[in-house]
Amino acid sequence: MLKGFRTILLKELKELIRDPKILVGMIVVPLVMFPILGLVLGYAVESAQEQAQQATLLIIDNDGGNWSQTFIGYLENTGININLENNLTPQQVIDQNLLPQNNSTQFIEIPLGFSANMTEHTEGNWEINAVINSYGVFQGGGIFSDIGSSGITAIINSFNRAIAPNVLYTTQSTIIKGEIQQGIDPSALSGLMISQSLALPMTIIIMLTYAMQIAATSVAMEKEEKTLETLLTMPVDRFAILMGKLSSTVIVAGIAAIAVMIGYNYMLGSVTLGIQSQTSIDLVNLGLVPSPIGYILLGISLFITLLSALALAVIMSAFAEDVRGAQALIGYIYPIIFIPTLALIYLDFNTLPDIIKTILYAIPYSHPIIASKAVVFGDYTTVIFGIIYVTAFTIVIMYVASRLFATEKILTAKLRFKRKKKENQSQ
Amino acid sequence: MSLAVEAKKVVKQFGNIRALDELSFQIKTGEIYGLIGPNGAGKTTMLRIISTLLLPTSGTVHVFGQNVTNNASEVRKILTYLPEEAGAYRNLSGWEYLKFMAKFNTTNTEKIQQIIDEAAKISGLGERLKDRAKTYSKGMKRRLLVARALMTKPKLAILDEPASGLDVLHAYHVRKIIKNYVKEHEVTVLLSSHNMLEVEYLCNNVALLDKGKIIVEGSPKNLITKYECENLEEVFAKVVGYA
Repeated sequence: MLKGFRTILLKELKELIRDPKILVGMIVVPLVMFPILGLVLGYAVESAQEQAQQATLLIIDNDGGNWSQTFIGYLENTGININLENNLTPQQVIDQNLLPQNNSTQFIEIPLGFSANMTEHTEGNWEINAVINSYGVFQGGGIFSDIGSSGITAIINSFNRAIAPNVLYTTQSTIIKGEIQQGIDPSALSGLMISQSLALPMTIIIMLTYAMQIAATSVAMEKEEKTLETLLTMPVDRFAILMGKLSSTVIVAGIAAIAVMIGYNYMLGSVTLGIQSQTSIDLVNLGLVPSPIGYILLGISLFITLLSALALAVIMSAFAEDVRGAQALIGYIYPIIFIPTLALIYLDFNTLPDIIKTILYAIPYSHPIIASKAVVFGDYTTVIFGIIYVTAFTIVIMYVASRLFATEKILTAKLRFKRKKKENQSQ
Repeated sequence: MSLAVEAKKVVKQFGNIRALDELSFQIKTGEIYGLIGPNGAGKTTMLRIISTLLLPTSGTVHVFGQNVTNNASEVRKILTYLPEEAGAYRNLSGWEYLKFMAKFNTTNTEKIQQIIDEAAKISGLGERLKDRAKTYSKGMKRRLLVARALMTKPKLAILDEPASGLDVLHAYHVRKIIKNYVKEHEVTVLLSSHNMLEVEYLCNNVALLDKGKIIVEGSPKNLITKYECENLEEVFAKVVGYA
């Protein structure tokens, strides 16, 4: 073995293991965070399955023939809750609010001629197929939100296997904001939206963590270099010192929020164009990109959240003695940024129980993610509520920060701790 | 002669540790006063209390008649404080750093320029002031910071270990700056040091601290005579019972 390697390795391990900041940050936090995420994911799958089981499937029988009765009977035998209506156009179903009335998010239309086509096919005319039209409401939910629609596709496939291969085909259409978008598969649209709804939360995580590190390092560097100590003895208002620090981070936060918005807008455009040629899904035409007001609100939400995170970083770094300590302290905030962000990627916020909704609402860092989904559907009330809440939270944080800097109490406590250590060392 | 600093029965308690134990002393205007003693004796704690960073647990401190506890903002107008091993802003040039600090004292552009010119003279850093502080050696950084502490001609300059860790030439330069500046501008200086020879060279009066208490006080010359020693180092060792 390399000479001295073992000695150095043991020393390094002792140093790392004995540092509580590293122990908590690298070992305890993942041990707590991942089980929580596991619970969230488990809950996500469970709730999606429950919803699929509880969902009622609305069937519009415009055919009224023998085969449509057989098909409906087959569906009933699978255990799906079915509500039956006759002689309605898909648009009438939407206009008459039949979906919410039947507690359903999807319906199947058995068109006129269905039974005739089935009879032709089963009598040996293989070229003639029957078609049913499937319509699903697009909700922009979490990753597992299309479990219900996939279940229905599976049942139709099994019907085909039971009767005759390739006898029955389905057309897929999506209902977006009350309008039928013919030929757009809800699953494909859901996949496309998820690919985008992953990008923004990830960008927000990176931006928040990076900005907090910068803010915390800025204060900690002042402490480490003792320039803060010098500043505190200068004829300058201590509140001005804090505001100077925060204002510079506000400017950086503002620039960062604008940069994210520009990048996000560009990304939506490029993803739309890329997918368009293959599946004919154009999010802009479907109205699934934020309006200008939506972008502005999302930008404000992001900016306020960043500001709040930066103020919190400044406060936490005030308790650290040096840059390393400040960065370790900031690490403790990461779980409350990561958990809601990842949870909101996987879960459909609207279908969550009130208690989990309340917890997610209470965490300020959830709001830009909630906003990013809400603005697409024009739900500005949720976004504005989030902005007001995070603003209030930020004001409280900034007040605490100002008390820390304006009074000598926190400085004394911190110096007392530091001094005590020195005294202990010297004894 | 009026008093620059008057400390009466100052106590500072950090939890169970009594860092300062009824410390009392007076500093006359225009003198260089040294607090000397080993690590943990309470020197830095006392300097921080005088410079309004810490509050005394009990006792009072007045700087030119102003109470440091009740009138901290007024005290900050008349003193400057140089912490031990302080740094400058790494990405500011020496000149920018001095300008940044000068702006806290005046908004008048001409006065700011005068202050910076004065600092440039004191530091002796010349053209290097245009370079960023992160390119400075330890000695250059200390010269910059000492210049910052003296450039506004404060009534009281508090210097914690002004020449600690510097090489012979930089330490010589810093001591010379302090000595000459006090003579020329009647600035009162309170400094702390481990270096007894430095204190002997600079200070009119010294207080020897040990475990938060002043064990002996006087001019270096008188103390050396009184304890029949060759230098202050020996005096210190003798009074703490080490020699």
